[in-house]
Amino acid sequence: MRFSIYQVSRKGGREKNEDRMGYSYTRDSGLFALADGMGGHPEGEVASQLALQTMSALFQQASKPTIPDPLAFLNQAILAGHQQLLRYSAQKALSDTPRTTVVACLLQGDSVYWAHCGDSRLYMVRAGKLIARTRDHSYSELQDALHSVVPMRERLNRNVLFTCLGSPGKPVIDTAGPFTLQGGDRLMLCSDGLWGTVTDESITEELGRRSIAEAVPELVEQALRNGGPKCDNVSVMAVEWECSEAEQGGSGVSTEELGDDVFASTIQASVLGHDAADDLDDAEIERSIKEINDAIRRSSQKKKN
Amino acid sequence: MSKLKPAPLPSGTVVGGYQIVKKLAAGGFGVVYLAEDAQRHMVAVKEYLPSSLAERSQGELTPRVKPEKQPLYRLGLKSFFEEGRSLAQISHPSVVSVLNFFRENETVYMVMNYLQGETLQDFIVTARDLKRDKVFRESTIRSLFDEILRGLRIVHQHKMLHLDIKPANIFITNDNRAVMLDFGAAREVLSKEGNFIRPMYTPGFAAPEMYRRDGTLGPWTDIYAIGACIYACMQGYPPNDSPQRIEKDRLALSLSRLRNVYSDNLLEVTEWCMSLDPLSRPQSVFALQKELARETERRYTKLTFGERLKLQLENLTTGAKA
Repeated sequence: MRFSIYQVSRKGGREKNEDRMGYSYTRDSGLFALADGMGGHPEGEVASQLALQTMSALFQQASKPTIPDPLAFLNQAILAGHQQLLRYSAQKALSDTPRTTVVACLLQGDSVYWAHCGDSRLYMVRAGKLIARTRDHSYSELQDALHSVVPMRERLNRNVLFTCLGSPGKPVIDTAGPFTLQGGDRLMLCSDGLWGTVTDESITEELGRRSIAEAVPELVEQALRNGGPKCDNVSVMAVEWECSEAEQGGSGVSTEELGDDVFASTIQASVLGHDAADDLDDAEIERSIKEINDAIRRSSQKKKN
Repeated sequence: MSKLKPAPLPSGTVVGGYQIVKKLAAGGFGVVYLAEDAQRHMVAVKEYLPSSLAERSQGELTPRVKPEKQPLYRLGLKSFFEEGRSLAQISHPSVVSVLNFFRENETVYMVMNYLQGETLQDFIVTARDLKRDKVFRESTIRSLFDEILRGLRIVHQHKMLHLDIKPANIFITNDNRAVMLDFGAAREVLSKEGNFIRPMYTPGFAAPEMYRRDGTLGPWTDIYAIGACIYACMQGYPPNDSPQRIEKDRLALSLSRLRNVYSDNLLEVTEWCMSLDPLSRPQSVFALQKELARETERRYTKLTFGERLKLQLENLTTGAKA
């Protein structure tokens, strides 16, 4: 597998950034996820972090090095995040559970699968055209979908969601895929800080016209500009699919040389990292050193090619 | 009372197959040595040895860390690994390359290319002592920063910030490459919440958000430092530090001294990069590169009589050189 990735997260005008995102991959499978911790409930940043960590941990267990049933996996992993949130809030005796949205996609072979809960979105753009995007679990998108069946009353606030992780009811999770990927396809995950102020047309145009390394910062800047001084957190992660077999000369992440049991992740394993240093035991140190030397070897090989 | 700094490894010591020739530099994070590898090639070896946490007496190899300082020491080690991990992924002529990483003496070592040349700081000092009307030619500044920004862009693409860009950390090699050094302050942007230790900063080059506990650091933080470096290349001296600027900002005034010497565009770009408000700066290296590479006809604006008068008065009150 070969892909390139670019991600930017900005706090905007808010006090905290409650968005989290990250990705994990093995030789043959990659998980990309983004979560937007919800305001109005406690510890939004814990909620989004926990949801991603849970997914990443399950991904590490299940991808050996592929996931047998990707859609079932995405569904279970998101649900497990929800259960972790309930557990966390019970353990800490919180009066309310931290809540978060989540959107995740899984690349495997030359297929992509995705799932979401809430209003964080996935966009898929091919050759400058929007191929697919998730439908938000908000009353306003529901209204849009049903307006031919049920008469329209007043517009509902786009921010009101009917499902998310951490709410008392079981979360609604939509899954989609497999879609067959073509080289150059772009997948973008984002929080509502982006799509709330930047239109689907602009998103598609930017993603179609430029490299993701240019489009992502540009889109985030647009959102921050449009969002003004009270702008929501804006997080965007875009993946460009290069090919399933590694060819020479690509520039992105190539997973081909990874061993069978190698797992790489940008999602930190510990909750909020305050105990991050404690887990740095001898084995961890040795592993870090080995990883770095592997990376050095790969980079110097790349230079030679 | 200042605590004794941990002693560097003596010349001749062999670590991980590299023989130490001499100490090159010491910073908060550790010591950098000139060493020779088995093929007698020169390399730079950086030893993790945080001076505030580790002790080592003369002639000893293994540093001692008091138990109460262990957690911080481990945390620092994690950052050292992060630096190695990120640098290892980057292979770019403008970013110092890592050759090896190993563990010995109960600490860790990072082996890097040894570069021969001088820092940009040395060049600025030499050039300004010539006392000509400009420190460097504009075309030199533009091509130098074009090269540096190419490297910085790759660094940012790897979710890393440098956070201590300054002329002393930009190395001009004898074969005329500009290379960014000392990623000791660099951190992975995404993991910065939680246990984030604010890196040390260099007054004049550090953006205002570096001074605040809650400041959001990003590519714009490095871009401020780039602006300050361009300023130093034109003026010969670093700009005022940002807390001072927040109190009374003389940047526009000191840049106006350079009008007619450097083009309006270069002065504007410098001021743009050094906006006190992070959001007013170029938000990405790409945005800045585009502006710097713009090859339009350069416009120069002379100072008006009133402005010259204002500058002279300013010089009288502050005693600054014109």
